[in-house]
Amino acid sequence: MVNAENVVFLVVLLAAAGFFSLNVRRLVRYMQIGHAEPRWDRPFARAWNVLRVGIAQAKIMREPVAGAMHATIFWGFMVLTAGTAEFLLAGVFPSFSFAQFLPRPIYALYETSQDAFAVFVLGAIAFAYFRRLVLHPKRLDGDNISHADAYLILGMIAALMVTLLLSAALLEVARPGRVGEPHFASRVIATALSAVPASVAWLAHRILWWTHALLVLAFLNYLPYSKHLHVVTSLINVYFSNTSRKGEGAAMRSMNLEADVEQFGASDVEHLSWKNLLDGYSCTECGRCTAACPANITGKLLSPRKIVVNARQRLMQKGPLVTNDRLEFLRPKLARADAFAASRTPAQVLEHRLLDHYITDEELWACTSCRACVTECPVSIDQLDVINEMRRFLVLTESRFPPEVQPAFESLEKNGSPWAFSSSDRAKWADGMNVPLMADLAARGERPDVLFWVGCMGSFDDRAKKTTVAFARILQSCGIRFAILGQEEHCHGDPARRLGNEYLYQMLAKGTIETLDRYGVLTIVTSCPHCFHQMGNEFPQLGGRYEVIHHSTYIERLLQEGRVPLSSDEGKRLTVAYHDSCYLGRYNDVYDAPRETLRRALPVMTLVEPARTKDRGLCCGAGGGRMFMEERTGKRINAERVEELLATGADTIAVACPFCMTMMNDGAKARDSSVSVVDIAEVVAGRLA
Amino acid sequence: MKIAVCIKRTPDSESRFKVAAGGSGIDEAGLKFDIDDFASYAVEAALQINEKQGPGETIVIAVGPDAIQETLRKAMSMGVDRAVHLKAEAAPFDGIAIAKALAAELKSGGFDLILFGKHAFDTGAGIVGTATAELLGLPCITAASKLEIAGGKGTARREIEGAGEMVEFSLPAVVTVDEGIARPRYPSLKGIMAAKKKPMEIKPAQLGPLRVTVKAMELPAERPPGRIIGQGAAAVPQLVKLLQNEAKVL
Amino acid sequence: MPNVLVFAETRAAGLRKVALEAVTAARAFVDSAGGGEVHALVAGPAGAASHAATLGKYGADVVLTCEHAGFARYAREATAATLAERAKKGYRAVFVPFSANGRDLAARVAARLDAPLASDVTSIAAAGDAITVKHPGYANKVIIELTIAGPLAVISIRPSAFTPAEKPKSPRGESVAPAADPGAERVVVKDVVEGAKGKLDLGEAPVIVAGGRGLKAAEHFKLVEDLAAAFGNAAVGATRAVTDDGWRPHSDQIGQTGRQVSPQLYVAIGISGAIQHLAGMRTSRTIVAINKDPEAPIFKVADYGIVGDAFEIVPALTAAILEARKGH
Repeated sequence: MVNAENVVFLVVLLAAAGFFSLNVRRLVRYMQIGHAEPRWDRPFARAWNVLRVGIAQAKIMREPVAGAMHATIFWGFMVLTAGTAEFLLAGVFPSFSFAQFLPRPIYALYETSQDAFAVFVLGAIAFAYFRRLVLHPKRLDGDNISHADAYLILGMIAALMVTLLLSAALLEVARPGRVGEPHFASRVIATALSAVPASVAWLAHRILWWTHALLVLAFLNYLPYSKHLHVVTSLINVYFSNTSRKGEGAAMRSMNLEADVEQFGASDVEHLSWKNLLDGYSCTECGRCTAACPANITGKLLSPRKIVVNARQRLMQKGPLVTNDRLEFLRPKLARADAFAASRTPAQVLEHRLLDHYITDEELWACTSCRACVTECPVSIDQLDVINEMRRFLVLTESRFPPEVQPAFESLEKNGSPWAFSSSDRAKWADGMNVPLMADLAARGERPDVLFWVGCMGSFDDRAKKTTVAFARILQSCGIRFAILGQEEHCHGDPARRLGNEYLYQMLAKGTIETLDRYGVLTIVTSCPHCFHQMGNEFPQLGGRYEVIHHSTYIERLLQEGRVPLSSDEGKRLTVAYHDSCYLGRYNDVYDAPRETLRRALPVMTLVEPARTKDRGLCCGAGGGRMFMEERTGKRINAERVEELLATGADTIAVACPFCMTMMNDGAKARDSSVSVVDIAEVVAGRLA
Repeated sequence: MKIAVCIKRTPDSESRFKVAAGGSGIDEAGLKFDIDDFASYAVEAALQINEKQGPGETIVIAVGPDAIQETLRKAMSMGVDRAVHLKAEAAPFDGIAIAKALAAELKSGGFDLILFGKHAFDTGAGIVGTATAELLGLPCITAASKLEIAGGKGTARREIEGAGEMVEFSLPAVVTVDEGIARPRYPSLKGIMAAKKKPMEIKPAQLGPLRVTVKAMELPAERPPGRIIGQGAAAVPQLVKLLQNEAKVL
Repeated sequence: MPNVLVFAETRAAGLRKVALEAVTAARAFVDSAGGGEVHALVAGPAGAASHAATLGKYGADVVLTCEHAGFARYAREATAATLAERAKKGYRAVFVPFSANGRDLAARVAARLDAPLASDVTSIAAAGDAITVKHPGYANKVIIELTIAGPLAVISIRPSAFTPAEKPKSPRGESVAPAADPGAERVVVKDVVEGAKGKLDLGEAPVIVAGGRGLKAAEHFKLVEDLAAAFGNAAVGATRAVTDDGWRPHSDQIGQTGRQVSPQLYVAIGISGAIQHLAGMRTSRTIVAINKDPEAPIFKVADYGIVGDAFEIVPALTAAILEARKGH
């Protein structure tokens, strides 16, 4: 029977829902300030991600204890949402209940689940408080994030659970039998409160019922003002995210340079895509990205979390002004910790921008593009995308970059290599080895089975040349019909692209594609993961489609097929720590091939894993164009990594990348360590019969 | 201020060179060309002076074939306002002839400052800037490694073999710049796009007769592969002899 | 029978070595052409005439002295005016050293005379009516042979290309008045800052002595500094490893991310020769490497290498250089 209370409740419910939808509309309109971008492809893969990353909490579980804690709260949330729906509907239509259309056993299960999860969630909240207050994990600090928000949210959730259970318990005390038996927790509490007089219990129940209802609606409407907005946006964010993709899906955003625009890249929120802005709404400020960031770990200013939080803060600042938001009192104060928050006039806000006033160029240049942040994020935010777009702005629009990068750009343009080495020296490593050139084969009307792309490091760097020679020897020993481009090879532009110089990159990449297509190249093998990723995964954006294989995969295949003539003697009993290359691992999921290669080539060796390994492996520090930059603050990233590798007790560090080789070598030398650093190709070549 | 910068288009200094068939020039196949290094310092210095001094105009001028227009555009992509292409079949080796062509163009320009690189990579001659100044009757500071312009006057530093000569002069003047004067900026994509629309005048270069011409070119004797000449302090006298007599650097 | 007018460059009242080289070159040229006179012009403060004897020792037939207090420092416009004025008096060629001031002077004189100029030459020969010269262009990568047409040629000579040779003559002395007032220069020399105060910039130093990790500790860099000082015109450089460790300031770093240099002589001490360092110095004209490890990559790019202990070799080399440079 509907009465006045129900009507009042309906009004409150509609008001709360109305207020909430206004905020949703506002947040959507802010999000639309970002540029359009289609993400309607691959619906099944995207839905699967929602199930895996979202519902099954796969990424959250990377930290087992905190993961279990959060999963409990999250699953509890989902389960209890059903109960909340029933609860709120019952507030308007008093006799409403799911029991009206669910079979009894199902409804009983549902009732049990409500109480069970209410208890679990309470337990998880208690642990959450303990964790924040006592254990105090480092990543929950920094970047000006607010603890108050977290405590408030935790408190509200706890209050919600308590009011839910108590309200039901007191109902049971006031009207025995009204609460179904499956509500075991409420009934236990009811037993404890059985001494309370019925009339008092009834009043207390109504008060707690209303408290719970208002808390739910308050909680809902607090969401847009809190980092807990992720409750609404995270599953959506995971759906539209591309960060779980590897290989071609992990390519940098393509860019149209023909567009007649005033600026290239992103300096403010309107230059980011709507998805970047949705990322901002979904950030829970957990700090796992920052805790995994090699730059941050070694004391640089860069914090991936700060990048995301700053983008959101800026959007909250600029959004209202750009969308002519006249409902000032609704303006979300997510910018609470923002230095530019309250005291700026609208004109000042519009004068400022995300770049420089929130995110400094120092932070942007500190990134090694290792993808650890992206790999860790439980809600699939792409921090790296924002960093890349802002680097593009710095270089293409303002020509602002660390001065030591300029010679690399100029050399790439003039010389086809980031270093000032004459291109006529490219194939010198092959002297005396009888390695065929593509041009020579083409002149005879022949074509090799595979092109061995040597890369600039492999052509010019003394240490890397040894890897090149080793791999060439392996190919020859297996009778592979391969060829090299020799002097016709020039950089594909990947370093330029990583550094934000898309213009120079496209020039070099197109030139490379032209050369490859002229020879009708179909298959390429390379010993450099950067070349591998660039040509295999990013060339398609410019029309270059080739099968590109990294030498670790290639050698493993050869070993598997028994084609490599290995020596019959045992070989050295090395203890080897393999250092995962970021562009092989996190970008392309190649973790096992290098390890298998080592195992097959040298069965007597012992393979040890460092503390941070495989997709948690710490970057060597050279990616993202940092190979061409000075490291001026904090501890050297390669020192941090070498220490970790040496701590395994290994006498050998194996790598599969020439940049990693340089970094590990430098790091080992700096510590006067006698550990030997070798490429996996060298290990195999050393085992040739 | 109205500043003119005279530039040259030269091949990349890192290249390996070959003599062209016929023997009186280099084989340009596969070579990359760009603004000569010292000329690019001059362009940068001009841009910085006008950025500091307030609004002004920078003009870039070059003598050479059509290919030089790309080089003039590059200077404009750095920020130079307009360009003048003095057309000639090739930039000759006769520095005085080039100076005459430039002086004819610069004479009526009313420039406050005219900048050159101290020499060009290909000729290494260091003639054109100073000779042009002489033909224009303007004061000239050759090979300045530091340059300050303020209020119609200038101060500069010239490196003179182990010492620095500090000089003062009044504008208008000609300065040829040395390394260290300014680090040329990297053009932004925005600058590159804008340069396509900036004005470029094309006129014939008034070189006059060429009296210095290339008779032949040849590559120097192959640099012998590095050799280890000895061990320890005992090898020192041999090294000094080699540096004196073979390498001729002492 | 060509006559050649030579500009005998002085500095701080002394004749420079390049002046003697120019006189030697002129002497050789006129002798090879079957005779002629070498006239050396000296512009200096009072007492400049005393250089006549030395100039005569190296083959000057006539020494023209232009004495004026204003020539105590390089008075470019007056010197150019004076030399150009004299050159009109029946000379086949004017020889000027291609020194810092000499190259400035040569261009001025050629412009004033409307005469062709060839710079930085390493050899000069008469070829009928013309003169041919050789000049290393393209940063010494290509030897260019040039023909100079016309009755009067201005030629500037690369320092150290000619070795001063004694061909004693008893020169006639002649006094020449300055053709323009050295006190009325429009480029006014305020000061000449001598070497030690003005530290040589890596970009322009003809000699660079650089040290690397092989020196083991910051204090051992003194060896590098001493050797640089012995050369007299050398700058000190360092590898990235050394600047990263704070032994030397970052501005001394030579390499991919530091300075790229191309001196006449590069001496690498205790440097292994990693690609990033080589990228900064491999175009140096002559490279000397001193390293303990015979397999070090630096030896592949060095013209001359000494394997051994830097702490023994460098002091010996420093002493030897000091000895060799006496009287420059």
